Amino acid sequence: MTGVQAEPTGSAGRRTNSGAGRVLIAVYGIFALAATARASVQLLTRFDEAPLAYLLSALAGLIYIVATITLARDTPASRRLALIAIIFELIGVVMVGTLSLLYPEAFPRATVWSLYGIGYGFVPLVLPILGLAWLWHTRPHAS
Amino acid sequence: MIDALAYSVIAVAGVAVIWGIVTAITNKPPGKAQLLYAAGVEVVTVVQSIIAIAKIIGGFRPAELATTIGYLIGIVILIPIAWLWANVERNRFSGIVLSLAALAVLAMTLRLLMLWIPAG
Repeated sequence: MTGVQAEPTGSAGRRTNSGAGRVLIAVYGIFALAATARASVQLLTRFDEAPLAYLLSALAGLIYIVATITLARDTPASRRLALIAIIFELIGVVMVGTLSLLYPEAFPRATVWSLYGIGYGFVPLVLPILGLAWLWHTRPHAS
Repeated sequence: MIDALAYSVIAVAGVAVIWGIVTAITNKPPGKAQLLYAAGVEVVTVVQSIIAIAKIIGGFRPAELATTIGYLIGIVILIPIAWLWANVERNRFSGIVLSLAALAVLAMTLRLLMLWIPAG
């Protein structure tokens, strides 16, 4: 026990880490693991082959880790951080997806976000949309 | 990798995926049998990773060595984490969480089968 702590969610909003949110966090956790592990292997063993793709993999992994932790913590501050991370995630997957489609030569090796996450059944494209919808669904009601 | 073992992992994980979906649809938290079954899937998965790593130590070199080792380690942590996460709040969504972990184990085993080709 860490002593007295404020109620995590404040007033009438629903918790991000409850109900269906636990499934969402589980998916984020799996992607955090997948993207981070992939990036680590790529950066450690073959950085010269495709530095841009590998650094983007690492960035994707970092964003998934932040989203997983902040959604699971569910404090007002972590909720704001989750929103920022998920917006970055959406921008990232749309941007990398489009660029990898238009300039395949810049992405000789795949990242989680290449071709809108085709290697992962397009889940990387759907996930930030679900994440934003979930944050909206659980938003605290203004008093 | 031992093909027969890998296909066994795929089969038992597939059952776990379906089981989690069924309890979610019937709006029940995972029961004791389901949780024990998930532990069983984990045991088979761990055995698979141990055998594969033993083969690598014994001299087998898959073409993508680092990736293969990453998969062999990553695959064994999914179900324990999902198990804990599913037990914090027990409801229909706990079953889906277990299903997701089993699905990831299944997909990673398929990928391992593809990765298990000798270098050279």
